[in-house]
Amino acid sequence: MKYHRILFLIPFILLIQPGMAVADNLIPDDLQNEIAYWIIIGMLLLFVVAMLVLLKTFKVLARVVLKSQGYTEEQIAAEMAPVKKVKKPKAEVWNKLLSLRPLAEEKELLIAHDYDGIQELDNPIPAWFSYLFYATIIFAVGYILNYHVFHFGQLQYEEYNTEMAQADISKKAYLSKAANRVDENTVKLDAEPGVVAAGQVIFKQNCVPCHGDHAQGVVGPNLTDDYWLHGGKISDVFKTIKYGVQAKGMPTWEKQLSPKQISDVANYIKSLHGTNPAGAKEAQGEKETDDAAKATKKA
Amino acid sequence: MQPEKFYYDNKIVRNFGIATVIWGIIGMTVGLIAAIQLYSPGMNMGNQYTTFGRIRPLHTNAVIFAFVGNAIFMGVYYSLQRLLKARMFSDLLSSIHFWGWQLIIVSAVITLPLGLTTSHEYAELEWPIDIAITIIWVVFGINMFGTIFKRRERHLYVAIWFYIATFVTIAVLHIVNSFELPVSAFKSYMVYAGVQDALVQWWYGHNAVAFFLTTPYLGMMYYFLPKMANRPIYSYKLSILHFWALIFIYIWAGPHHLLYTTLPGWAQSLGIAFSIMLIAPSWGGMINGLLTLRGAWDKVRDDVILKFMVVGLTAYGMATFEGPMLSLKQVNAIGHFTDWIIAHVHVGALGWNGFLTFAILYWLIPRIYKTELYSKKMASFHFWIGTLGILFYAVPMYWAGFTQGLMLKEFTPDGILKYPNFLESTLRIIPMHVMRSVGGTFYLLGVIVMAYNLVRTAMQGKLVANEAAQALPLAPLPKAAKDGTWHRTLERKPIQLMIAALIVILIGTFVELMPTLTISSNIPTIAAVKPYTPLELQGRDIYIREGCSNCHSQTVRPFRSETERYGEYSKAGEFVYDHPFLWGSKRTGPDLAREGGKYGNAWHYNHLMDPRLMSPGSIMPNYDWLLTQTLDTTTTIAKINAMRKLGVPYAPGYERIANSDLDKQAKEIAANLYTDHIKIKNDKEVIAIIAYLQRLGTDIKANKTANK
Repeated sequence: MKYHRILFLIPFILLIQPGMAVADNLIPDDLQNEIAYWIIIGMLLLFVVAMLVLLKTFKVLARVVLKSQGYTEEQIAAEMAPVKKVKKPKAEVWNKLLSLRPLAEEKELLIAHDYDGIQELDNPIPAWFSYLFYATIIFAVGYILNYHVFHFGQLQYEEYNTEMAQADISKKAYLSKAANRVDENTVKLDAEPGVVAAGQVIFKQNCVPCHGDHAQGVVGPNLTDDYWLHGGKISDVFKTIKYGVQAKGMPTWEKQLSPKQISDVANYIKSLHGTNPAGAKEAQGEKETDDAAKATKKA
Repeated sequence: MQPEKFYYDNKIVRNFGIATVIWGIIGMTVGLIAAIQLYSPGMNMGNQYTTFGRIRPLHTNAVIFAFVGNAIFMGVYYSLQRLLKARMFSDLLSSIHFWGWQLIIVSAVITLPLGLTTSHEYAELEWPIDIAITIIWVVFGINMFGTIFKRRERHLYVAIWFYIATFVTIAVLHIVNSFELPVSAFKSYMVYAGVQDALVQWWYGHNAVAFFLTTPYLGMMYYFLPKMANRPIYSYKLSILHFWALIFIYIWAGPHHLLYTTLPGWAQSLGIAFSIMLIAPSWGGMINGLLTLRGAWDKVRDDVILKFMVVGLTAYGMATFEGPMLSLKQVNAIGHFTDWIIAHVHVGALGWNGFLTFAILYWLIPRIYKTELYSKKMASFHFWIGTLGILFYAVPMYWAGFTQGLMLKEFTPDGILKYPNFLESTLRIIPMHVMRSVGGTFYLLGVIVMAYNLVRTAMQGKLVANEAAQALPLAPLPKAAKDGTWHRTLERKPIQLMIAALIVILIGTFVELMPTLTISSNIPTIAAVKPYTPLELQGRDIYIREGCSNCHSQTVRPFRSETERYGEYSKAGEFVYDHPFLWGSKRTGPDLAREGGKYGNAWHYNHLMDPRLMSPGSIMPNYDWLLTQTLDTTTTIAKINAMRKLGVPYAPGYERIANSDLDKQAKEIAANLYTDHIKIKNDKEVIAIIAYLQRLGTDIKANKTANK
């Protein structure tokens, strides 16, 4: 019995494991889920195996016990073999459900006519088929009434407005937490390695095709020199990323990156100042004495 | 009265049978190549003629009109003669029908890879071919009705009702959806624009499925299944009910392809409501088929032909249940534009059309060759590998559909898209696309085995080109004759039956099409929306030629996930100059309705040259030929004139200065590219398509700034 208890406990322990691991985020969430998933599957399989083993054991035990009580082999076999139940005529149930008439009565139903040897039966339309048809008609009428007469249901543009309003509420609630609320006026220069590293990841994912893997400039400008087309202050860089510069082909990132992410990638860009990457694009824009140098010094 | 002797024409049946198999293999092979390109774009073999955008229409046309089309004619020509106890009306017409149809297919095989397309799905062929289709279809109709008129059987069997409905409805659909204004020998513009064009197209597209892939196959099922199983049809009454209900309701359901677009809400709702009502009438055919097998299920175990029929009918039942479910707007919101739809249509096409065709071929070829099937084992192998193929095809595609549909809708708590880059969802489903091409390969392998088996069967037998038969001629109807029911009376009046079917399908057509096509208030105009410049117009035609709309939609639905991703949702008034509309039906790549101004010209240039430069991992093919091919500006005048005829307000005489405007805009773009160190002459095609892409969806943006 106590083995059973342990067996029952294991999955619980495994289930709460990911919850406990949240505090120290050494293993990424996805991986944790993956691990948990396979452990659960593995446990379930183990249960099945255990049950099969138990079943077999019971059978063997029963045989031993019966033998010790003086049963003969035949008696044991008779005892063990389950009595076969008499099969209920399934077909009849089906026939009722599908409102079918027994095949034996088919002759009465034949229509006295054939087409190239094909005959037809005069079976009624199955009742359940008619009910299905009526039900769909009622649904269809109800659907039109719902959306176009009583206006209980929302049509697409109302639906859209509702969806946007709800999203707005939850977004505001989320952003009311201070850390998430960064904009071009509040963004601060930050040379923290964590921030720069996070920014680098975002840069690699989104910016490399146009600005190059070392920000040396490809289609877009070089981001490591002293020259800036739209301002080189952290707030300017933030703004350029957030709103884009359509005329120059810089996309808007406001809808793709969160304010925090924009701030990270802006800081990453600022951290690249003066790195002089190979194959740097020529200078574009105004020369600016920027604040990156000071920040580096401070750090 | 003496029985008359006559001969069934088996040769025409055999010919259509051969064409079915050959085109089937070709069409499916093209499909497989297209499928592989979705994870390995290099499979376009580096040239424009075999690139996805051009061969996807070739695949759909080949399997629908060549494979299924020839199979329909094979089945109809075999069953019609026997059900009417008469030889086909005219051997000459049969022959014209056969060769004409093959010629149409060959012209499709040539023109579609060349990029000659109307862009209307399943109606891509250009206007001269459209005319040829109309003529051949009429030839088929005359031949069919001629046979009906000289019949030796008083009443028309249910199979023939379906054939008649098919004939008359396809004629209406094809003609209305082919209203095009020719610009040159192989270029035309659709008469309707924007949302009206979309409605006509999907009224057509949906009912092409109904009346080309469904009704003729139901007709064939009603003939061949009882023959194969040697059982009577389960219920004559059910046949009547589901036939009329099916053709009446089907025609209304087209708008479910346009949910959440700018199509008026009432039309969308009608499409949904009628789609739901379609479940029972569609299932009527399946039920009547499966219950016909009552008492013959023991045969199904041994007879591979019946196995094909059972799986085919089951696939039909599944697809016709799934269709109405997908048309519910809540489900459609996730499923539309994704691989779910691809899975759905392939369950129908591979299961229902494919398997029924195979069953009929296996049954019919030995009979007209007076022999036995060469190898039952091979047929059995075909059945199992085909079924496995369908599963391997459909399951990964459902999975891919759900995955992509849900990924694109997911938001993070800070209110931005979890996967803002569309490409992430594309990359996630690549393994599923690999799986589905494996499924497709299985299925194709089965068909090739079948082809071998049938060839060997034909070789061991001898074609009975003219099969002797006899029947009593029709005696004049005694005046006092009573049919019992009104429907029984209708069954001996083919013309009345055809007219009744025509009226039944025209009701839904008129109610849905007419208000949208005629009442202008259904399409509110927007003052800021202006006609395309000549360069943009030429660019748009390149977009059409390359089949971009096979992978990119151009309509932003009013969902938060779409307005955040693409920009403001689309308005009906934005499409009033779009002859044809280019909304597309599948998003293998992102929507482009608001593409204009999102990226710079240089981005587009590099992206068209090699998409992976700008979007690492992209599965879009390189369009490097756009960089070398010179734009044909000799067509500009004809195009401007044609557009003006269709109501696009180009000033009188504008066509004369159009090309100088075109040059001016091209030079500006080339100069802009030059600032990014891209040297390209301004007469290349890439300049025109960049101009078009940069225009997309910008009219409304301009309007907004003007209002501010």
